Amino acid sequence: MKKKYSLFPGCLMPTEQYAYELSIRETLPLLGVELVDVEGFSCCGEPMKSVNQLLTVYLSARNLAIAEKHHLDVFAPCAMCHLALTECQHILEENPAMKERINGMLAAEGLQYTVKRQVVHTVDLLYDQVGIEKIKEHVKKPLNGLKIAAHYGCHIIRPSEIGRPDDSENPQKIEAILKVLGAEPVNYPQKLDCCGAPLLANLPESALTKTGQKLQAIQEQGIQGMVDVCPWCHKMFDSRQTKAGETVAAKLDVPVLYLTQLLGLAMGISGEKLGLELNLSPVEKLQLGDVK
Amino acid sequence: MSIIDLTSMGEPQSDLRKELNDRLTKLQDEISDYCFQCAKCTSGCESHKLLELEPHKIVALLKRGLLNELVNSDVIWTCMTCLKCRERCPQRVAPVEILFALKNMAVASGKQIPGKYTGMLQSILSMGLIQDIQQTTTRTNKTLKRDELGLPPLSKPIDVVKFQAGIMKIAMEKV
Ligand code: SF4
Ligand code: SF4
Ligand code: SF4
Ligand code: SF4
Repeated sequence: MKKKYSLFPGCLMPTEQYAYELSIRETLPLLGVELVDVEGFSCCGEPMKSVNQLLTVYLSARNLAIAEKHHLDVFAPCAMCHLALTECQHILEENPAMKERINGMLAAEGLQYTVKRQVVHTVDLLYDQVGIEKIKEHVKKPLNGLKIAAHYGCHIIRPSEIGRPDDSENPQKIEAILKVLGAEPVNYPQKLDCCGAPLLANLPESALTKTGQKLQAIQEQGIQGMVDVCPWCHKMFDSRQTKAGETVAAKLDVPVLYLTQLLGLAMGISGEKLGLELNLSPVEKLQLGDVK
Repeated sequence: MSIIDLTSMGEPQSDLRKELNDRLTKLQDEISDYCFQCAKCTSGCESHKLLELEPHKIVALLKRGLLNELVNSDVIWTCMTCLKCRERCPQRVAPVEILFALKNMAVASGKQIPGKYTGMLQSILSMGLIQDIQQTTTRTNKTLKRDELGLPPLSKPIDVVKFQAGIMKIAMEKV
């Protein structure tokens, strides 16, 4: 059966992390997932949590209400968006008074939150909805045992009490996907370390130090590359890798790709279509297809 | 509408402060019952080594009622929101949620919001997203925007005035 989701882009992916969006739009439809573009979405509210949590809940509820109006489930490729939307559902389902209060505000735009629709992220969409068998059928260029580190990101695995795409202490779904693509997922002690992105707003130096420390550990262990599944993580590990290296006084050269880019390459899609020219880390080292 | 309306309006902000105060007092009661200062939260804290954040001490200070000291300290702004402390606390205390409430309180009290939060909020108010479409640089130093990559138009609020009217209710609402 064909699966259908509204693509909730959030802020960062559609305004600068274009490689994630390109690779999502290239790969998922081939795997039987229909992505619907919906007008009118806004920020999920997660970046405002430190400023005003009610604003966060309001913005998430607003986006969920828009999807509801179109009778669609939601695919949020950003780890932070996925957390904000899921947490908002949790709050509104548990707290009828809050739901009423939020709906009162949503009326200004003619919107209402009434039902809990499915909200998925890239990891559970691929692993649980599409499934490993289906992915296997589409692998045309296996990755020849490439040694890859998976970075999940804090916000897709915690807090487990509200339901997250993978296990909080021992997530394995990305590894399972990497295996079926022909890569060799590597276990490494820093796997659950944060990328630092949430501190970009007010302590950018510290944020980049966190990024640098994780990449340095990966480099020292001789792991060939890293995959991530969040535009914030990727902004740190790929777009800002050179700067992150400066904070730890190291010359970093770790190829970093979105999981959906590596998936696309294994499916035989060209690097250009997957936005590989936008990766600023040394992805050419992986010698994959036409990637220069 | 500006950030002033949302973060430092006289009357409505006192309502917000009252609401936050109630929440923090409730948290304080719960903590007094549950937190036994095992410091498991601090041992896994992502900001501990780098920025000297000690979530168990934040909890202890709140337990002792030192709310103003906490609200006025810079250390509450060092949390990476990794959620490990919430996940791993044997007593389900969630220091990260206390930190969010403290930061909200600092903002509602008219303290200056650090870093880029103000800019992001202003951008959300004016166009719905934390930033507009950016130019990116390719590996070969070309600059590109989303339309040049064949991506569809950006999804954002269509009627900004109505969108702002909804948000405005947060600033105006009486609790
Ligand atoms: S987390 Fe960020 S990128 Fe994702 S929608 Fe929210 S604000 Fe935007
Ligand atoms: S690793 Fe960073 S951006 Fe990614 S989910 Fe965690 S904190 Fe968020
Ligand atoms: S908050 Fe939880 S983990 Fe931290 S000291 Fe208290 S009981 Fe221990
Ligand atoms: S959420 Fe904040 S306080 Fe809690 S462990 Fe992570 S960085 Fe430390």
